[in-house]
Amino acid sequence: MRTIEYLFTPELASTYWAIVVAGLAIAVFAGALSVLVVVKRLAFIGQGVSHAAFGGVGLAYLIGVGAGSDLGGRFALLGVLLAFSLAAALGIAWLGERSGARTDTAIGIVLAVSMALGFVLLREAGARAAATGSPAPPAIEGVLFGSVVTVTWLDAWIAVGTAALLLGAMFLARRPMLFWAFDERVCEAFGAPGAKMKILLLCLLAIAVVVTVKLAGVVLATALFVLPGAISLRLADRLWVVIGVSIVAAVVGVLGGLVISFESNLQVGPGVVLALAAMYALSMLTGVGTRRLA
Amino acid sequence: MPNPTQTPALEFVGVSYAYPGAAVAGTKGGVGEAIRGVTLDVRVGERVGILGPNGGGKSTLLKIALGLLDGYEGKVSVFGRPPSVARREGLVGYVPQRVEAELGLPVSARQVVQMAATVGMPAWRPSGARVRTKVDECLSMVGASDFASQAVGKLSGGQLQRVMIARALAREPRMLMLDEPTVGIDAAGQQRFSALIERLNKGLGLTIVVVSHDLRTIATSCDRVACLRRTLHYHDAPGGLTPAVLAEVFSHDIEAVFGEVHIDAHAAADCHDPTHHHHHAHDHGGGGQG
Repeated sequence: MRTIEYLFTPELASTYWAIVVAGLAIAVFAGALSVLVVVKRLAFIGQGVSHAAFGGVGLAYLIGVGAGSDLGGRFALLGVLLAFSLAAALGIAWLGERSGARTDTAIGIVLAVSMALGFVLLREAGARAAATGSPAPPAIEGVLFGSVVTVTWLDAWIAVGTAALLLGAMFLARRPMLFWAFDERVCEAFGAPGAKMKILLLCLLAIAVVVTVKLAGVVLATALFVLPGAISLRLADRLWVVIGVSIVAAVVGVLGGLVISFESNLQVGPGVVLALAAMYALSMLTGVGTRRLA
Repeated sequence: MPNPTQTPALEFVGVSYAYPGAAVAGTKGGVGEAIRGVTLDVRVGERVGILGPNGGGKSTLLKIALGLLDGYEGKVSVFGRPPSVARREGLVGYVPQRVEAELGLPVSARQVVQMAATVGMPAWRPSGARVRTKVDECLSMVGASDFASQAVGKLSGGQLQRVMIARALAREPRMLMLDEPTVGIDAAGQQRFSALIERLNKGLGLTIVVVSHDLRTIATSCDRVACLRRTLHYHDAPGGLTPAVLAEVFSHDIEAVFGEVHIDAHAAADCHDPTHHHHHAHDHGGGGQG
């Protein structure tokens, strides 16, 4: 097996363990957020948020902040991506609530526009890079479906830090967040900050998606925020068990996806999605969860 | 017994409210108003029902009383305070229509009550034994102890309603406001509901306000009734409600809507406040707003 070879050959080990650590950290926060994403029906908003990151990648490379491989360079890239994704998340939420436009219409528009914009900007960045000899933008396929070859230990530590940040924020906000998740419309009457919780969750989702995009790609990143929760809601009906199962499902899915990817030279995104989809299919055979949502 | 000299639990004096935009859409004056000129008072310890058709302004009245809607005309006070202050102090427990909660969330009945008991607690403080005791008390008060650890998604309509009432009790309110509490609940469940309301009223001294389009719910659980269709049409003991008043409020033949009406004739609460007598409105137009 190539997976064993990659992970335990001294010359290769460091490179591949970085990918595994990044994948595990991403799986942990994705699994934890996933339950809320499914319960609050944010899967489609998640799609809009991750596709917006594609426009962000294009812009970052065009203005020359995409290629830096040091911490500053990474944060500059993530910052541009986050700006796009946050704007998409909050814009979709705002459009859906204020203007009376339907949320799915808003997402459909944001999604298509950011894909088109990202494509145009990446082409332009590629042309400029060729003319000036500056670093070329990544291959579009890798941006869309994820690529492991560019994941470094720096990325792994950023993923670990993100996991700590997101889990910490979720822990601190757990009481109002849970109240909001259960009964959004009565938050105010009970003194729970409902509107703030929605914005907080969208911000956490945008941060999570932006960090996940490098590994799983902008098209498939959201699968990590939907499938684990959908699987766990079928398998359990106790909140903390559901969140635990969701994290375990995400970890198994990411590890399975990485193995598929290492063995067959496939992008990571499709491998992870197929591994999670297989688990979801299996979970449909059981009858434990409440099944109202997933 | 209600004490007429005490500060009322809930007081509306000439309250009108029009939703922004609705007033613009209305062509004649007042058509966009959700409620108009409502004067009502609920004394401490009373059980008052607010009866009216869907779209008659009941939920607007409720939102104003809960301190969730500003910009109304007139005066509203809740235990002598502005509604938003009463809300911050947790004086009013709210039991919403149950259909609005997310029943797919994997939480138990106990967790739902605990959410309300801990909602304002600092994040770093664990909920602890005191919260647990309070949650257990609230659950047992409504007779929900037996299914406290069941997932909310698996409860029956009546069980779920009791959990929602327990949740409202968790903040130790002095008044309970219930919005359409018997929608989707069978006849036996309705009887249990009336008994529970009576127990909370007599046992805990809670003031009760029930908002409903269902005459039976109000007749069996309240001492007094106010009929609302944009403005109050009637305000007295349910025993005195005549088919004529009901027909006016619902603009239907009542027998056609409710079948044969049997009103459980509670003794009329002796009401000395002159504002409690019939606030008949001469506005029969519009309707359907709010």
